[in-house]
Amino acid sequence: MAVIGEYDVIVVGAGHAGCEAAWASSRMGYETLLVTIHLETIAQMSCNPAVGGLAKGHLVREIDALGGLMGRITDETGIQFRLLNSTRGAAVQAPRAQCDKAKYRLMMKHWLENTPHLTIFQAIVTEIMVRDGKVKGIRTLDGSEFIGRAVILTPGTFLNGLIHIGLQSYPAGRANEPPSLELSQCLRRLGLKIIRLKTGTPMRLDRHTIDWSYFTPQPGDEEPVPFSFWTKKKLENKIVCYLGYTNEKTHEIIRRNLDKSPLYSGKIKGIGPRYCPSIEDKVVKFPHHNRHQFFLEPEGIDTAEIYVNGLSSSLPLEVQMEILKSIPGLDQAKILRPAYGIEYDAVLPTQLKPNLEVLEIENLFLAGQINGTSGYEEAAAQGLMAGINACLKLRGEPPFILRRDQAYIGVLIDDLISRGVEEPYRLFTSRAEYRLNLRIDNADQRLTPYGYKLGLISEDDYRLFLEKKERLQRAMVFLESQKISIPESGILTLKNYLKMPKVFFNDVIKYAAQLKELSPEERRFLEAEIKYEGYLKKQQREIEELSKVDEVRIPPNFNFQEVPGLTREAIEKLAKFNPSTLGEAKRIPGITPAAIINLLVYFKKKKPESNKKDHLDVSRET
Amino acid sequence: MNREIDLASTIVAIATPPGVGALGIIRISGPAALEIASKIFQGKHELSPWHLVQGNLFDFESGEFFDEATAVYFPASRSYTREDMVELICHGSPVILEEVVRLALKAGARMAHPGEFTLRAYLNGRIDLLQAEAVNDLIRATSLRQARLSFYQLNGRLSRKIDGLRESLIYILSQIEAAIEFPDEGILLDKEQIRKKIKEVIGELDKLIESHNLGEAMMRGVTLALVGRANVGKSTLFNALLEKDRAIVSPFPGTTRDYLEEKIKIDDLIFNLVDMAGLGKPDHPVEEEGIRRGRQLASQAEGLLIILDNSQPLCDADLEILSLARDKKAIFVLNKIDLPAQIEREKLNALAGGSKLIEVSALFRLNLDKLKRSIAEVFSPALNKNYENVIFHWREKAALERTKEALTQVLEKQNGGYSDEIIAEELRLAADTLGQLTGEIKSEEIINAIFSEFCIGK
Repeated sequence: MAVIGEYDVIVVGAGHAGCEAAWASSRMGYETLLVTIHLETIAQMSCNPAVGGLAKGHLVREIDALGGLMGRITDETGIQFRLLNSTRGAAVQAPRAQCDKAKYRLMMKHWLENTPHLTIFQAIVTEIMVRDGKVKGIRTLDGSEFIGRAVILTPGTFLNGLIHIGLQSYPAGRANEPPSLELSQCLRRLGLKIIRLKTGTPMRLDRHTIDWSYFTPQPGDEEPVPFSFWTKKKLENKIVCYLGYTNEKTHEIIRRNLDKSPLYSGKIKGIGPRYCPSIEDKVVKFPHHNRHQFFLEPEGIDTAEIYVNGLSSSLPLEVQMEILKSIPGLDQAKILRPAYGIEYDAVLPTQLKPNLEVLEIENLFLAGQINGTSGYEEAAAQGLMAGINACLKLRGEPPFILRRDQAYIGVLIDDLISRGVEEPYRLFTSRAEYRLNLRIDNADQRLTPYGYKLGLISEDDYRLFLEKKERLQRAMVFLESQKISIPESGILTLKNYLKMPKVFFNDVIKYAAQLKELSPEERRFLEAEIKYEGYLKKQQREIEELSKVDEVRIPPNFNFQEVPGLTREAIEKLAKFNPSTLGEAKRIPGITPAAIINLLVYFKKKKPESNKKDHLDVSRET
Repeated sequence: MNREIDLASTIVAIATPPGVGALGIIRISGPAALEIASKIFQGKHELSPWHLVQGNLFDFESGEFFDEATAVYFPASRSYTREDMVELICHGSPVILEEVVRLALKAGARMAHPGEFTLRAYLNGRIDLLQAEAVNDLIRATSLRQARLSFYQLNGRLSRKIDGLRESLIYILSQIEAAIEFPDEGILLDKEQIRKKIKEVIGELDKLIESHNLGEAMMRGVTLALVGRANVGKSTLFNALLEKDRAIVSPFPGTTRDYLEEKIKIDDLIFNLVDMAGLGKPDHPVEEEGIRRGRQLASQAEGLLIILDNSQPLCDADLEILSLARDKKAIFVLNKIDLPAQIEREKLNALAGGSKLIEVSALFRLNLDKLKRSIAEVFSPALNKNYENVIFHWREKAALERTKEALTQVLEKQNGGYSDEIIAEELRLAADTLGQLTGEIKSEEIINAIFSEFCIGK
């Protein structure tokens, strides 16, 4: 076997996880190889043409604040922008953009091609080489070997992928693209526990064959909110999406053809996501609904393809056509690509450390759908963290781990490794205990100092961040000191005025014209910090209380048999996961409160050995 | 008490009360329970799960036997503490029981702290906090009715009630969360429906909070002060209600100088009666101090028995005392009805206002049953309510009140036009607080609730 090259980091797969991982590691100065089956499908949006949404938009902001790419490229290639929940409070507002899929791909490829220390290579990876529990590199289909000190695996739905259309099925990673069969076998051989998941995608229609007059236009925002903190150009809406509904006739067709559904005939064994059900799922599970909504979303400017958001299905093509016939406006529509369901292998993520490294295999990192998640944003967030942590590992530095109260990224990874998944995992804002602090308007305040320290944020970008921070501090001092007189409330500070319900930043500006210089983004930040102040303070106290227990340290390679009272099962689990703090021990699946109490009593008796910090030392300033 | 929790050692304790009994029970719990018990107990058969084994108690130091006994081994999977446990049943002499404990300690066990067996059952996840509290209440039950209520609580009735209320809150929360998470799905929040549901939960909380009145009366007792002028017969009435000569009585005013406190039981309720010096002009510095303390006690008591002398006309001192009823629940007791009436009944009725007036003769024990019934009715109005669950502890009551407060905030914030995520925050707080009574809330629950209710997806 020929050794073709040697790298610090090898990233397998160039989807949303792989791209961020490769970007982070090369940006941190490590020689990186990014291997993909097809150069043409780098950063392919396999399903819907949108980035963002609730919790997902939050993730993109966090990726951006740390120096990742997804936000910038979405702003560059977005063709319609909306801020969701704009009538609700700041914590649950999130941006979403329709992207030009082809442009997104090309832009990402272009960006990576011009990144120093990064090599892109087209090949099918068939094996992860491991010796003595440590990763050595990869082998490709033609027998070539690449030596890598760390390997990040991001194969998406390609692991043992099986596409279903009706009762027909064929192996594929994405429609008509070859799956990774050998890689899945290889992971099993390495002793990883594999689970089977399912997802699906709707049909794409030819826009010339749709009668648009039947549907309700859903335009973008008049003043689009960008994803990236560093996007300064004005964003433009170039397309309009449309809203439509199914009807009783549609449902009748679906019910009549359920026997041809691989899902209902029992052919699909993988578990699908509840939040993203196929149309047949919706019809069966909600029989009392006489219609279901769907959106018609253009996949780009230079293409006629229309994505039918809401009609995901794995019914046979002829039934898909019949469904369209039952919907006025789509009755003449031509399918360009059929809807399909796909089953794929994933690794049970409880086998990972918080830095996304496989417990049993040193320097092998997993990110994205392989860890049981769904969604571009969830994948990208993990990819970025895996890339960062692979480099920190090679550097011999402590891992970069975000806590649940610091970032949605922390919530996402903590959920995965401590609870595992039963269905494809999607992030929700309600998964966060400290939602009011995890906002899009303060993602940079929360995370950019880390990104800078890691080497992912350029000096120029960081200077802009510091200027903004100072501007915000000045404005806050002003709001706290400036007093006004309001007819019913008397004299009060602008801050207390803004605290009142139904008073917004624009009302404050009436009294203080100099605040006009603040960007909408900055106004949102100040408004949120003031409106949520009481809650944020309370949460801060709670976090400090909890972290006292969580931060009790466990020495590396500690022998848990020394702790009296632990059950054999607990000792085995603790030895396997080797937690470095009590907080981590708490999150190990199957560790009982009783075991934690035993550990707490044991370590409290001992003197704290040193004050060496395990995480990056950046203070939390907001 | 700040004791370190330790689940590693094996603990031992005598389970039966001190003193001589026909039988006595020793419990051993922990990883070495079987090993330790086997040293002290030599059975006719080997100890096996859930089998009663006959045998003898053995002093492994001197090599001598000292009693016959039976033993039961409960393996960890299904024992009271969810640890390995052995119960030794022997003759009830304190000497024998203490010897068994001494030997168990010698064999490596540790003396159990009070309540430690139940604490372990809780920490090992066999029972929740409410159930753990019920164990103690059951042990200390002062009436069959309280025992029954505590038994139901131990059985999980209150836990299920609390869980049910929490589920209602999580259901409401899931509706709000669904609207937040899926803004494009056209989910409309029915604010009126949400308010109605929250008010329902508040109603249930109110019932539980109110039941604490009864719980308190059953467990700790309601404190009632006997107030009145000197020589109206407070101490005589005190003795009559206690049915024993507790306080010294004499025909001379000012006999009682200090105060006395005693419990009486009426039905299933406990009342702490406080007898004190007559409120009026003192004749002696000691009496003066007694009066000062008496006034203080009267102000702290939960209720008053205001005692008047039927054989004397109402005087200014009486009127001053009557005015105490303005701030507190009170019963007017007209004593000495065996003597000719000197009091103007019409005036008295007017002064009594809404308070009950009971005529008694403490000396001849007339109408005392009527007085007792009135005491139960007036000072524990919850007595006759047929509560499904009764709250016995301040901790529980406080958590229920905090939950109610958070829910009231939800209603207020909703009215005040606050945004949905704030409402959700308050609702979460309410559900969390309620969860503290039994366990913890997990956001996974809310997500599950969302998907069982809504049809959402691409």
